[in-house]
Amino acid sequence: MNRKNSVKNMMIITMLMAMSIVFHLIEPVLPIPVPGVKLGLANILGLIALMLYGIKTMYAVNLSRVLIASLLRGILFGTGFWVSLSGVLISTTIVALLYKTNKFSVVGLSIAAAAFHNVGQVFMIMLIYSSVFMIYWMPPLIWLSIPTGLLTGILATGALQRLRVMK
Amino acid sequence: MKYLNRFDQWLVIVLVVGSTLLYGSLTWLINAANSGQRIAIVSYRDEEILRIDMSINANYVVQGTLGEVFIEVQDQRIRVEKETSPLNICSIQGWVSSSFVPITCLPNHILIVIVAPKEGDIDFEVK
Repeated sequence: MNRKNSVKNMMIITMLMAMSIVFHLIEPVLPIPVPGVKLGLANILGLIALMLYGIKTMYAVNLSRVLIASLLRGILFGTGFWVSLSGVLISTTIVALLYKTNKFSVVGLSIAAAAFHNVGQVFMIMLIYSSVFMIYWMPPLIWLSIPTGLLTGILATGALQRLRVMK
Repeated sequence: MKYLNRFDQWLVIVLVVGSTLLYGSLTWLINAANSGQRIAIVSYRDEEILRIDMSINANYVVQGTLGEVFIEVQDQRIRVEKETSPLNICSIQGWVSSSFVPITCLPNHILIVIVAPKEGDIDFEVK
């Protein structure tokens, strides 16, 4: 990789990180009729990072998003931070494993990311509140993650088609 | 479907079937465990602050991190009627009558769980 390309890639990765932080910050104010449900728009940037640069970059984009967005919100190392971090860690790991199989499309990976993000969050809430009852929220959240994952996957596919033309 | 390949479709099927089975099993457990339970425990930062008899229709107020949390009991169901938080998720959640569905007010650090009463439990007490 020559110097010009390395600078270009660094700029694209930095922009992906910045955009994912912005999505993470603005998403809670978007009106969704179901309480506690988010579209997961920031996952689009993680998927783009995965498809363009690989697994390590996806981890970098997703983890930096949680860290910096929590810092900007003033909730770093608070309950919300740990819930968010566990969701991102589990969903990113599952997406990385599925990606390695080379069997799933971007939309499939997006659905998996959305579903396992919720699984990670529910497990962390169960741990923090020592309440096994919170698992009751998991099935409805997984059902809702399928349409939201589908939507973010379609958006990521569209964005990737344009970005590959640019590359 | 245009956007989903065969493996994606299998993933969706596994997620839907798995979560539905989990939901069915939990619902069955709830129905089995719900008989005779009438006590709700309100905790603040993992410490029990209020014990409520679910058979008495009444309103209660507890202090959360961001302000007062108004709890209402009616017809053996419980809800957070009003609270101060950014998204008001626990008041939007509405009525709960099952021990498997807690009411969690994360910003206020308030947790409400319905449990089976122990021998000698009184109607309610404030600690």
